[in-house]
Amino acid sequence: MFFKEINHYGDLGLILDFGSDSSQQISQEVNAICALLQDLDLPQLNVIPSFNKIVLSFQNTKNRNQAQDIIERKLAKINLAKSQKDQKLWNIPSCYEDNYALDRELIQSVHGLTKEEVISKHTGVSYYAYYIGFMPGFPYLGDIDPSLITPRLTTPRIQIPARSIGIAKEHTCVYPKVSPGGWNIIGQVPFDIFNLEHSRTSLFLPGDTVQFQSVSEKEFQQIQSKHFGLDEIIKEFSK
Amino acid sequence: MNTFRVTRTGTYLTVQDWGRFHYQHLGVSPSGIMDQRIPQALTKVIPHHQNQFLEFAYVGPSLKVEQGAIKVSVGGQCNIFVQKNNNTQIEHEPYTSINLFEGDEINIHNTIDSVYGYIAFENGLGLEPCLQSFSTDIKAQIGSINRPIQIGDEFKISEDVRSWDLQSNKEVNISKQTNFKVYPGPQLNYFSDEVLQTFISNPFSITTQSDRMGLRLEGEALKSHISHDILSEGILPGSIQVPSEGQLIILMRDIPCTGGYPKIAILASEDISKIAQLPPGTKITFDL
Repeated sequence: MFFKEINHYGDLGLILDFGSDSSQQISQEVNAICALLQDLDLPQLNVIPSFNKIVLSFQNTKNRNQAQDIIERKLAKINLAKSQKDQKLWNIPSCYEDNYALDRELIQSVHGLTKEEVISKHTGVSYYAYYIGFMPGFPYLGDIDPSLITPRLTTPRIQIPARSIGIAKEHTCVYPKVSPGGWNIIGQVPFDIFNLEHSRTSLFLPGDTVQFQSVSEKEFQQIQSKHFGLDEIIKEFSK
Repeated sequence: MNTFRVTRTGTYLTVQDWGRFHYQHLGVSPSGIMDQRIPQALTKVIPHHQNQFLEFAYVGPSLKVEQGAIKVSVGGQCNIFVQKNNNTQIEHEPYTSINLFEGDEINIHNTIDSVYGYIAFENGLGLEPCLQSFSTDIKAQIGSINRPIQIGDEFKISEDVRSWDLQSNKEVNISKQTNFKVYPGPQLNYFSDEVLQTFISNPFSITTQSDRMGLRLEGEALKSHISHDILSEGILPGSIQVPSEGQLIILMRDIPCTGGYPKIAILASEDISKIAQLPPGTKITFDL
């Protein structure tokens, strides 16, 4: 058994608890178990992964209790290695120039870094997509270079531009749409990462690997002007 | 074609159904009807509603038939008037069917001692689902109509009403309740016995800062001896979370998908509908 406990959450919910620690390895287990749960054909309404928990919700208590029985029986003897689903590897063009990086100078001064250092540190790591939350298609990516770790803004912004790349604590993110939020904004991606018309819906899915690649403002605007759909983004920028 | 136009929106007028499921792992909230008891009761009057309801809070809308005819029923505690084409005005009761013909305008007044009201339409509102649901999530801009309904919005219902016979549901019993038995929350152990005692022995007031996402309560502050900041995790409607200032927030249908505050308790699922109907100022108590 990979999770430590399975508990009730009200009369319609279950929580699979993987303990209080958070790491990429724990998250990989969380996401692998989520994939397994989807395949078990349980009568669930939602399966919600996060760093070290999975929450499931059901239509009624009877469904919940049946699902709990099945989960306890099936997951006791599962081989997790076999159940990993194919995950995508992203190489996402991003622009760190002033117009798109509201807080880059703040990050530079907090950590005593140059603009080039911030960019090379943010693009120098491939990030793991822990889970999608906060708003539709919003990925929690990590972990960032320790020298970039910065708390959230003390006063959250009322409006963060759509497609902005943020950092907060050990994580980095992309805002799919205009939104209020407290992450430090250091760049922007040139296309939409959430699309209701596409079967994938969200460009990034839990378990994906995401690498950002710095592009000039000119290149950024060129990509932007192509108005890529999700299929084209997948073709051009993922493996 | 049967067409009606919104001539006055009232407040918080949106399309809702029973919720949008299977997308919460992509950050999409379930949304859906705040007080499910009312559309359930309306189903007896308008069985072919296609799960496409209009929901309003505090003040209902006015709808005018532009072409053809429609059959509707209104649920909730409110006064309902129909301005006929010939300038007469007729009052209708909630949970009865109302036939509206070209030129007729229905005016729904404010909800009395409650918050939410609903309109069911025979053959629905002529909408296409979005991510398998008709519900509107205003903040995420997701829905068959991805925003609140505006004046001038027009709905076209292609199918004609089958029967103009009048129906009503006389058995509706929507009670008002202010004491709620709750289940322990995932972070119950973040609160000492003393704090839990405060939680169950004090009243909390529903404040005006309450909407489809959550009800903010005001009362004695509850402080955790561990932390008010947890690693974000999946949350469900009805959860009672405790931010650092100690004032409770009950999460409702337009729930954020994950949350970072400890949850002291969670309501029974059927009580979410009941608590949604309590107007600001109402004092509520909890029982663990």
